[in-house]
Amino acid sequence: MQYRTQARIRKVVLYAALTAAAVVVLFPFFWMVVTAFKEPGKEFTADVLPNPPTLENFRRVLTEYGFGRYFLNSVVVATVSAVFATLFAAFAGYVFAKKQFFMKEKLFAFLLGSLMIPGLMYVVPQFAVVNRLGWMNTYQAMIVPHLANVFGLFLMRQYMTTVPTELLEAARIDGAGEWQQFRRVMVPLSVPILATLFLLTFQFHWNNFLWQLIVVNVERLYTVPVGLALFKSAHEELYTLKMAGSCISVLPIAALFFFAQRYFIEGMTMGALKG
Amino acid sequence: MRSFVRWVRCAAGIAALGLLVVPCGCGQKSEPATLTVWQTYNDEESPVFKEIVAKFEEAHPGVTIRVERVPFNGAEPKIQTALTTRTEPDIARVDVSFLAKLASKNALLDLEPYVPAEFRDEIMPVALQSCIYNARLWGLPDQTNGLCLFYNKEMFRAAGLDPERPPATWDEVVEYGKRLTDARRGVFGIGLSNSLWWSLPFFYSYGATFLSEDGQHCLLNSQEAVDAFQLKVDLYRRHQIEGGAWRSGGILHDQGFQSGKYAMILNGPWAVESLKKTGIDFGVGLVPAGPAGSRTNVGGNNLVAFASTKSPKLASEFLMFVASEEMQRMWATRLGQIPVNVKAADAITAEEHPYLAVFVQQMKTAVARPQTPYYPEIENLMNPEMQAALDGTKTVKAALDAAVAEIDKLLAGER
Repeated sequence: MQYRTQARIRKVVLYAALTAAAVVVLFPFFWMVVTAFKEPGKEFTADVLPNPPTLENFRRVLTEYGFGRYFLNSVVVATVSAVFATLFAAFAGYVFAKKQFFMKEKLFAFLLGSLMIPGLMYVVPQFAVVNRLGWMNTYQAMIVPHLANVFGLFLMRQYMTTVPTELLEAARIDGAGEWQQFRRVMVPLSVPILATLFLLTFQFHWNNFLWQLIVVNVERLYTVPVGLALFKSAHEELYTLKMAGSCISVLPIAALFFFAQRYFIEGMTMGALKG
Repeated sequence: MRSFVRWVRCAAGIAALGLLVVPCGCGQKSEPATLTVWQTYNDEESPVFKEIVAKFEEAHPGVTIRVERVPFNGAEPKIQTALTTRTEPDIARVDVSFLAKLASKNALLDLEPYVPAEFRDEIMPVALQSCIYNARLWGLPDQTNGLCLFYNKEMFRAAGLDPERPPATWDEVVEYGKRLTDARRGVFGIGLSNSLWWSLPFFYSYGATFLSEDGQHCLLNSQEAVDAFQLKVDLYRRHQIEGGAWRSGGILHDQGFQSGKYAMILNGPWAVESLKKTGIDFGVGLVPAGPAGSRTNVGGNNLVAFASTKSPKLASEFLMFVASEEMQRMWATRLGQIPVNVKAADAITAEEHPYLAVFVQQMKTAVARPQTPYYPEIENLMNPEMQAALDGTKTVKAALDAAVAEIDKLLAGER
């Protein structure tokens, strides 16, 4: 009896704490959504809920501000980047996990070491290269420089090391070539980590602001984060429009996470445990 | 052997491709008659700026101006990155404090030979001063602003005050504030932000000076400055008419003004349009006067040309065109902003632009901000000390002394 009350109290406390944390985490989203439905100028009035609610912000963001175009640009950049970054990381991870070659461990350590360099350090050199290639104001400028992803390689290698080599050997005995071993054995077994990496890179490119800001000078090619920044000028911030744009911008990420969260969490823990 | 030959052929092919590609990459040089401008205007300003550009092109046949819109907050990193690879535009719109930084790094075109003295006389002196660094001219203002006192007429009426008579002095602010404050309902006479920029009207209306002539010493711990800041502290601590808008987590001054929590705030002309939309009955008055009169500080933006431009003369002509009387008249009347050209200031009549006319008058007694590339760092050193004085952990004198000691080290290059 006493044990049950204790357990119940513990549960109540736990849920109270979790609820409090959820409120803290979700409040900005709540504010984003309610603000998106408010009339301009009423962001900070005493009414918490929009009064009266309006769809005007969404209409203006999509028609007057060409947000559809920014959205399309973001989809192209994030999807293409995520697909190829995941693909390359899978190739490299496979080789580092299952193949033997000269200086393999040293090379891997060297690549890992490069993770210690802050990402911002790459901005200027990469910008210089992109500029020399004549790629300013192009999609490839936004996509190509981030396709080689050492973190992704690391994630892939750690995961693929845990796949028993015997499976690959069995496939080889059955007559599978190199490509088939990778495609038919390794890839199906690595779906969780592939999905995780795809999500992470998609999210990275979807949110990336600085790089896409500096390599593109024409509004036609602006992506969602750069487009959102246009709502803030020297002294004022168009909160209602910005929040309407933000609402639209979180949709793809929210949808992706919703459908892939099972893989996502599995992939993260597995990569972490079997180091 | 065969494969070696194939290798060589292949390598030669790649090299040839490279040769083809490289000149393309460098081929982005603008012809002499094309100028690229990076602008950071908002949605109302951008179309008017485009009109100005079209008029300039009309007046200069054969000249093309390529306008590219950059987010205001992204302009600094974008320009800095572009400068490292020499891909900066010919002209850009930059914040007052960023101009000094760029000028100190020799990135800007020196406008001394291009802008005649007669033209400089047309520009509002405090705005022009924001383009001067080391006694040379590095840009021309395209926009200027200062602070005035916004007050809620409805709340004035409810407190039995004349809604057409904002407080003229800081003493009156205290007097009015006591009648407007109702702390139990969370309503206060005034709400004040606490960064250095927002405190400068206090310092200046007490006659304090920011930096010494040579720019080597900060003077914000003089007796005048201490008195000025003591007033700000007193509004909160002694008179208890200030709502704590400066506290972290406090209601920001403009938000509190919108929600009827603060009856008076300091704010700039940019707030007028959005406040009109909220339906609040408000008025604008001059900054309350201290011993040195009613003084505002100056903010704004400048257009600069970069040292690398191929057409320095044309670029400087464009800057002068934007700041010219005719264009500024259009800019001011269409957008409700303070014109940078004094000849255009008469276009702002009290009948047509009741709020803006007050700002135009206020700018006549504005105090220019001294040009220093360290302004953002000075803010960072000053703000926490001012905060300590406001929340009572330090006396005003001790706080300002401490801040000034650090700022002087910074200015002497010891930090």
